[in-house]
Amino acid sequence: MTARSHPILRLARRAAIAAAFWPAPLSADEALRDPTGDVPVMEEQARAAGLVHAYRGPWEFFVGGGAAALDCDGDRLPDLFVAGGREPARLYRNRSTAGGALRFDETPLGLDPDDLDKVLGAYPLDIDDDGHQDLVVLRLGENLILKGRPDCAFEKANRAFAFDGGRAWTTAFAASWEEGRRFPTLAFGNYVDRNAPGSPWGTCHDNRLHRPGAGPRPDYAAASALRPGYCALSMLFTDWNRSGTPALRITNDRHYYRGGQEQLWRVEPDRPPRAYRKSEGWQHLTIWGMGIAEGDLDGDGFPEYALTSMGDTKLQKLSEEADEDEPAYVDIAFEKGATAHRPYASDDLKPSTGWHSEFADLNNDGLLDLFIAKGNVERMPDFAAVDPDNLLLGQWDGTFVEAGHLAGIDRPTKGRGAVVTDFNADGMLDLAVVNREQNLSLFRNRGARTAFGTRPMGNFLAVELSQPAPNRHAVGALISVKAGNNTYSRTVQVGGGHASGHAGFVHVGLGTAERAQVRIKWPDGEWSAPYRVFANNFVLIAREADAARYWYPPEAPHADTARRKDGDSWKAGSAR
Amino acid sequence: MTRGGLTRLVFAALAGLLAARPATGTEPWAERVVTRHVEQASLAGRLERDALARLRAAGAHLFTGRFTALDGVGRPLATQAIIPTKRKRPPETAFSRTSGMDSNACSSCHNQPVTGGAGDFVANVFVSEGFESFDFDSTDPQFSNERGTNHLFGAGLIELLAREITAELKAIRGDALAEARATGAPATRALAAKGIDYGTITAHPDGMLDLTGIEGVDADLTVRPFSQKGVMTSLRQFTVNALNHHHGMQPQERFGTRWTGERDHDGDGHDDEISVGDVSALVAWQAGLPAPVRAVPEEAAWRAAAARGETTFAAIGCETCHKPFLPLASLDFADPGPDDMAGTLRTGDVEKGAIYDLALLEWTKRLPRNDKGEIMVPLFGDLKRHRIADRQVAVLGNELLAQRFVERNVFMTAELWGVGSTDPYGHRNDLPSLDVVIRAHGGDARAARDNYLALGETERSALIAFLKTLVIEPARVTP
Repeated sequence: MTARSHPILRLARRAAIAAAFWPAPLSADEALRDPTGDVPVMEEQARAAGLVHAYRGPWEFFVGGGAAALDCDGDRLPDLFVAGGREPARLYRNRSTAGGALRFDETPLGLDPDDLDKVLGAYPLDIDDDGHQDLVVLRLGENLILKGRPDCAFEKANRAFAFDGGRAWTTAFAASWEEGRRFPTLAFGNYVDRNAPGSPWGTCHDNRLHRPGAGPRPDYAAASALRPGYCALSMLFTDWNRSGTPALRITNDRHYYRGGQEQLWRVEPDRPPRAYRKSEGWQHLTIWGMGIAEGDLDGDGFPEYALTSMGDTKLQKLSEEADEDEPAYVDIAFEKGATAHRPYASDDLKPSTGWHSEFADLNNDGLLDLFIAKGNVERMPDFAAVDPDNLLLGQWDGTFVEAGHLAGIDRPTKGRGAVVTDFNADGMLDLAVVNREQNLSLFRNRGARTAFGTRPMGNFLAVELSQPAPNRHAVGALISVKAGNNTYSRTVQVGGGHASGHAGFVHVGLGTAERAQVRIKWPDGEWSAPYRVFANNFVLIAREADAARYWYPPEAPHADTARRKDGDSWKAGSAR
Repeated sequence: MTRGGLTRLVFAALAGLLAARPATGTEPWAERVVTRHVEQASLAGRLERDALARLRAAGAHLFTGRFTALDGVGRPLATQAIIPTKRKRPPETAFSRTSGMDSNACSSCHNQPVTGGAGDFVANVFVSEGFESFDFDSTDPQFSNERGTNHLFGAGLIELLAREITAELKAIRGDALAEARATGAPATRALAAKGIDYGTITAHPDGMLDLTGIEGVDADLTVRPFSQKGVMTSLRQFTVNALNHHHGMQPQERFGTRWTGERDHDGDGHDDEISVGDVSALVAWQAGLPAPVRAVPEEAAWRAAAARGETTFAAIGCETCHKPFLPLASLDFADPGPDDMAGTLRTGDVEKGAIYDLALLEWTKRLPRNDKGEIMVPLFGDLKRHRIADRQVAVLGNELLAQRFVERNVFMTAELWGVGSTDPYGHRNDLPSLDVVIRAHGGDARAARDNYLALGETERSALIAFLKTLVIEPARVTP
């Protein structure tokens, strides 16, 4: 089936027409005001770093294209597993050193080649609490759980974990440790049921919820349907009302569902999951939902959500008029300048196609930025053909300003999934974007743009949590970093984005703060005592520990001289 | 030199040579101090003697000038906090003796015995973090820590020593980490630099660091030599803090657009009140202030007593912390410096930083050197924090608030150079004689203090005679 003839194009055309009649939010020109703070210089280095890989394939792989960043060899640097579509998925071991050039080596996975075929995405998490990150691999066909072993070895654990990977077209995933459970609950989001009559229209597959059994080992034999499914493209367990019990937010692709909408499911311990209804405050919203990002933009303790779509991105904030426990959201994307509805680097007025979304502080100024991967589905004529990824920099007035072109990520690629993480442990977030039919992009963050090159950006803190099993990596914990009057919140989550996730250090930009107090709301709701930490450090906080522990990344073999000259050669302060 | 003479000299030096950009209102009678901003772009590489002198003169002008409304004095919509922090409404009065702003000029407090010196009790400042409780109208210690004004003579050498120690400590850390990673076994190293013992660290093969053994220094191994508590990294950082806190003059490098999104963060109608170059001038002036000296008393009896007192000073254990000398390898004062963090200009923030060669200053030629050619800085300190109060001797444990993670009873060893010129004493500036402050030493200094008390009256007097020779010598105080 060619892209031109495919029904997705017809609906897309309708979407484009709808977009044309919107009251124009900010025009492209108006949106391109200069950011007031630092613009990170993102230098593309994929091939030089050893990453030669593209996500390819026919219609089924128009969606997906994810990556998972995880430390699989114990050096605390994020390694990278990348989906390939019809190409094999690959694992790249991170050989970078502190503050050095990005470098990766492909590492054979030693698995059945068939299992690495038709992979759409992946998320890391330590399912069996053995201290090694496992991988949940989303496929066209049987999903996989790859149990992590030392030294980047993985083994297929579907049988060991009594996990039926199904035969669906899986495009989304999220996980959460429910109260009283020893192992995580796994949610899988499925796309079109291609075998259903009338496919693909109105034939969205049910999603699946796998709750672990009560035994001493992971047992996912029991699974239930999250019905109806509306062609999920991203899902995220999120404690939207800070109740301590995360709900499951699912963003769905309106191309294929009929009568569907965005979804929020109550997933309460030992009770069947149930979708929020209109009578409970959930409002009907239909978008071409592609990716979910969560971030507490205004520091009120309640997360905001960025939902990518075709056309404008939604930025949802809990309505001030909502009653307690009423999930009623208002869209603030327009007033915040975050619609990102069409390309910013050209005169093309056709609407954008957004995929992965992720809040992160890429310039370490203490304000959350929003990255959105963009790319035409395939060759959809009514949507922008050249659709560069967005880097919306958070501003002090609460708005966002586009800086993708200033940062250097405005490339003519078709972005899909992505990972925003610090690959070389220099305190500045790097970016890997999986591109459809093109080599993935790997952007090394070189620091703030200046007339003479780059300069260091703001201070940062990187935090990793641990606690006794279950849930050793504290998925669901809230990291609250207080510096001065500012409180920065991050949640340890598995899910969201577009078919992509990362584990390991959680990054917080601190601006001018030299130190901070960190408090952890552990997944069971218990708050920790405050931990006092110095900025520009990587710290590990273990539950009940008296103090945070500092970790230092590996340095290049000849870093000694530089270190003696410059102090911390690895840190963000030496970005040049 | 009188303040008037200093000011005339400064204006003469400023008259032409510094690359500068004018501020508005440049009439000779304009009520303002900042008539021309110093251009940071003109400060790159090693400054020649004249350029350094001009820069320092500009710094002296800013240090002594009493900032006015036209300069932008005041911070109606910003607090004294080190991290730029807005306030919702202006205070009732612009000046507040407690929470600030509390002076118009640096020299309003730093003036004993001359500009750049210490302050009397009346010049005490009230240290609070300036975040939630930024307004307080009480000197009650539950709201703030009351601190005396330290002198700045020799401050450039102090910062250079701290930088060299910091680099050594971080190199030790790096070596330990490298060894642990290479051998696969934990590596423990003594954190010792310039003869100062900062405890131990243990690196683990996975890059984790055990910091439970460190002493007297922050966990990031950065020696912060300034403030009574030893929590400020550099003259530059302190200058930026103080300009906002005490004068409401907001330096662009922290309170400007880059970190606040605003050019007038304090809402007083003045944009970019203090330029990056202005701060550099202030730093250069302070860094070049002469080191205090050892006076030679005219009276033979005092000379003899001082000699005995110096021996006693060592014998009873004062030198354990008040080390008479620390060796310094280089007099190159890089500005910006290597250890500052975002919000204070950093090495990487400029294309090429400046070097203020302190060797160009006459007073540095009189500093002793050791057989390695290192400058022996006669600071009588150890750039290390210690516990200074205990249950029995608690006078110096009078604060209730920890500051920047440093516990209430822990302070940086006070450098004793200049102590003969800067009474009263103690971090609250409320101990009226050397004898009183020595008796107030508890905690880690308890043994030395007890030894002092066990001395006969003559020996105690001799020790005081010695300390009184450590003076800021007005005759050598030149800009």
